[in-house]
Amino acid sequence: MSFSTFVTDKAGLQKIYEAIVASHETYAPVEKFGKFDFKRVTTLAECDPDSPISKTQSIKPLFFPRSAKVMKYVATSAGTDVSEVDEDPLASKRVILGVKHCDARSLQVLDKVYNWDFIDTDYQKRRTNTLIISTRCDKADTHCFCTSLDYDVEKLDALDILVVNGLDGKIYLKARTAKGEEFLTEPLTRHASPVTEEIANPEMSRQYAAFDGSFRLKMNYAEVNARLSKIFDTPEFENVSGNCISCNTCAFVCPSCHCFKISDEKVRDTGVRYKSYDSCNNGYFTLMAGGHNPRPAKYRRWRQRAMHKFVYYKERFGENLCVGCGKCTIACPVNISIFEVVNQVAANV
Amino acid sequence: MNYTKQIQEIAAKLFAEGKIDVFVGYRMNGFDENQVPVLVNTADDVSKLVFTDKSVFNLVNYLKNEHTRRKRVGIVVKGCDSRSLNLMLTESQVKRENLYVIGIACEGVTDDSGQKMQNCVDCMVPDAVVFDEMLGTPAPPQNVPVSYKMNADIASLAAMPLTGRAAYFEEVFENCIRCNACRHSCPLCYCAKCCIDQETATLYNGANTTSAAFHALMTWSLHLAGRCVDCRNCEKACPSHLPLHLLHKQNESVIYENFQEHLAGVIPGDRGAFYKYSMKDPDDFIM
Amino acid sequence: MEAEVKDQLVSIEKPGLIAPPNWEPVIMGILCNWCSYAGSDLTGTSRIQYPPNIRIIRVPCSSRVDPWFLIKSLQTTADGVLVSGCHPGDCHYISGNYYARRRFLVTKKLLNFVGFHENRIQFSWVSAAEGPKFAKVVNKVTEDIKKLGPLHLYKKENFEKK
Repeated sequence: MSFSTFVTDKAGLQKIYEAIVASHETYAPVEKFGKFDFKRVTTLAECDPDSPISKTQSIKPLFFPRSAKVMKYVATSAGTDVSEVDEDPLASKRVILGVKHCDARSLQVLDKVYNWDFIDTDYQKRRTNTLIISTRCDKADTHCFCTSLDYDVEKLDALDILVVNGLDGKIYLKARTAKGEEFLTEPLTRHASPVTEEIANPEMSRQYAAFDGSFRLKMNYAEVNARLSKIFDTPEFENVSGNCISCNTCAFVCPSCHCFKISDEKVRDTGVRYKSYDSCNNGYFTLMAGGHNPRPAKYRRWRQRAMHKFVYYKERFGENLCVGCGKCTIACPVNISIFEVVNQVAANV
Repeated sequence: MNYTKQIQEIAAKLFAEGKIDVFVGYRMNGFDENQVPVLVNTADDVSKLVFTDKSVFNLVNYLKNEHTRRKRVGIVVKGCDSRSLNLMLTESQVKRENLYVIGIACEGVTDDSGQKMQNCVDCMVPDAVVFDEMLGTPAPPQNVPVSYKMNADIASLAAMPLTGRAAYFEEVFENCIRCNACRHSCPLCYCAKCCIDQETATLYNGANTTSAAFHALMTWSLHLAGRCVDCRNCEKACPSHLPLHLLHKQNESVIYENFQEHLAGVIPGDRGAFYKYSMKDPDDFIM
Repeated sequence: MEAEVKDQLVSIEKPGLIAPPNWEPVIMGILCNWCSYAGSDLTGTSRIQYPPNIRIIRVPCSSRVDPWFLIKSLQTTADGVLVSGCHPGDCHYISGNYYARRRFLVTKKLLNFVGFHENRIQFSWVSAAEGPKFAKVVNKVTEDIKKLGPLHLYKKENFEKK
């Protein structure tokens, strides 16, 4: 199926966004305490779809909430009654503006995880009901390395509508999925003009080339992946994880981390069960009833993190789990860079 | 303020004389002019060490058990850092004979944008109060006690009406993602199992909800009251950029105004406001 | 003749939230075993009435009270908390209440700082012989909390009042 491409300018794009916000439930980056988080907006003025890379949080909480109610229960004399919680507020039809490509790409991997041994119906519902509009970044940030990994940033399918700021000053919009194709219709397209792929594709590729050239960090993914697969026992992991404080932040801000913990809030006979974020960096992540903890030392947890992100998921699902967004490095209190960690470990094999 | 050369020399000497197993200092982060903590294990890596006005992180955090247990540690401390070290020593978390402490007469550090940090502008104890060796020239002892500077943010919030403060803090607690980075980066949060992480379902507030964040942050700041040294590790670690210093400075101002206690950790052996009492403590709020 | 004007009682920290009709506050009472709890016992045996809004739990000493207890109470059913201990100088454990009163002040001020009205948590010294005083204290606290309206800040999941 061929997908439509449109061309517009800055003013036209603003009008398109305004039309979307007016007619659909929209989420976009909203600034609070210096960080941009994806929140529900009712006017375009509340948000900034072009928020700076280093200050924008991921869209993961819209698909895998930080804290989700899973069920309610009441203990009665006849047994325990388990009931569904109220309708998920995130499961209505919605549009997300201002998504970065790395965020969208992480959904591609999460789709595989949540469709694997257990079909997570909540996640599926949220995915089906969401339309993602993603602007390709013009310039890489200090910690970005998405183009070095094993996916084609230029041809992502995880987003529905692609927005590219062409180097010729025009803005190109292209549907990348059937959902996006259906969406790019009146009244949005009155602010843009259709354009053929022969004209649009070279301009978008030019932008991509400039973008690809702006990266400070580049790595040979295939080589790193191959080397890491073989060196589980290297002592180099102790060196790279020395100043980690096991604080959980990296996993919480990562767009593709999906570990969770279950906790109950109960009063006497009734309770609600929550599923919330957890992090494998936490000292108690692997603590079992009975007291055994297979990962008591910091370096073991960092080894698990690095291997998980760069080796295991490639083996199991064919896709790298880390998307190269750099959010973990930015959020880390001591700026540990997973890029540096895997390269340093691989180099010392 | 640049003591890079001196610190490299001292660390090299300590390793050469076999006096330490690990040296905790700062290194350049490798991508801009800011610095991150580093734990150096051999004399070969001593050249990584630096110390300037960008050496921000409170390194005493690495004296907790999970980082340097039973090791002999060389460490660099500024004024505030040394106060938290004093508290850790008083609370028997680390042995003095296992440490070689390089104290700094600190002139204040800057944040990522290059501006002097607010707690450095208001700092009342810039010189290290515990050290084996001091770098820089400490200020001469004051005859007149330095008067307490009320934090400007506290004063402006205290002037707001109750509903305004309630709304402001509701937003703060709503944006907390319960990552616990604040706890892990605070040198004085060394409990092996935090009280609010207990598994009992009635006590446990594990869900990442606003009410859980309120519970966690309030309990945390009250357990730190009288012990916080205002190093701002917590605030810098927070991925949601929450203004955590508001809670701690509020407690500090109440303690100062009502109990006339010294700032935490200034006097060796001093345990902090909540481990002491006085007959003159205010009683009029109690019926 | 007084005009009967029924003011709608609002939650003072969040004026948008209105108390349901016939709302009665729930007050958590944390009493030290040796003085206050015994004093409340004396109130009962003396047949002195005090409002039933208070739910009492007993601790060995007022210094057992971790600020966490107060926060937890306010997050569950309580609209207000009363903590009561021995008079200074009379603590069964000699100095517990001295440590406690420092903690109480800081906790009260911090809760006020983040948006709770200062009368939400109150403290008293009630000795084992002060039966009437305990009744007076509970009366005062109940009246104060009634004026403040229900507490709606940071309630845990199951305690969110409709």
